[in-house]
Amino acid sequence: MSSGRRSRQASSSSRINDDQITELISKLRQSIPEIRQNRRSNTVSASKVLQETCNYIRNLNKEADDLSDRLSQLLETIDPNSPQAAVIRSLINE
Amino acid sequence: MKEEFLKKWQMGLQIYRPLIDNTSVSERRKAIKLSADVAMASLRKGTTCWSRALIQKTATEDNFLVRQMLSGIKAETLINKKLPKVMCHRKIVRRSKKILRRRQSRSAIEEVAAKARKLVKKKTQGLRNVVPGGEFMSNDVLLIQETLDYIVSLQTQVNVMRSIVDAAEAGSERTAYYLGKLKFAIEDG
Repeated sequence: MSSGRRSRQASSSSRINDDQITELISKLRQSIPEIRQNRRSNTVSASKVLQETCNYIRNLNKEADDLSDRLSQLLETIDPNSPQAAVIRSLINE
Repeated sequence: MKEEFLKKWQMGLQIYRPLIDNTSVSERRKAIKLSADVAMASLRKGTTCWSRALIQKTATEDNFLVRQMLSGIKAETLINKKLPKVMCHRKIVRRSKKILRRRQSRSAIEEVAAKARKLVKKKTQGLRNVVPGGEFMSNDVLLIQETLDYIVSLQTQVNVMRSIVDAAEAGSERTAYYLGKLKFAIEDG
């Protein structure tokens, strides 16, 4: 009997969570440029949104790594008198 | 938010300034990335799970940097604060789900719905692997809220870094143009 009550409670709270999750997933859909630009279908499945989100986050991190790489290369090769050096110096000195 | 990020990132890079001339490219790259991550996470002032997890993770790689960058924002508590242990005990959940399933009769529609739910579960697990601290977020609602915030912060980090690097790589004639654009982009927020 108690387990019956428990399962009923679980399903009602999961109903509330389902609404929240649907709303959050639609927010995610708006944040992912991949999906926002594909206006063809109005309904993008939740799992696709989640998949695209994972990919998007991975790509952002990869781009940050790549940018750090380029910046560190620049510091290596830059001519201290060039305007590029001035930009970096202002970045570091400010 | 872009301006705040840039200021914090600059602060982190300044800590490395004496070393910049004498370290290898890969060490420099790591320093740049780490200070960018701490800058991004510190903007949240410990209010989100992902930012706390990211700070702790960075602290294990470079404790000195994190302490310096966070001095004044309760550095000690952020680094040492235990992340909430809300991990589900998978065996127990699996067992109780099995019992529930045996009691329910399955129509075709229920089968499809169950498959869809399973797929979503798999994808949210993927999300947990990508968001810092995700493994501690057993609540799906929390997970997605944190993801949204993390994405916004990551976008800021990448946009600012991209502007700086583009400006720095530009030729002398275009540097002035890029500097103006950079200033505008950052103030645009």
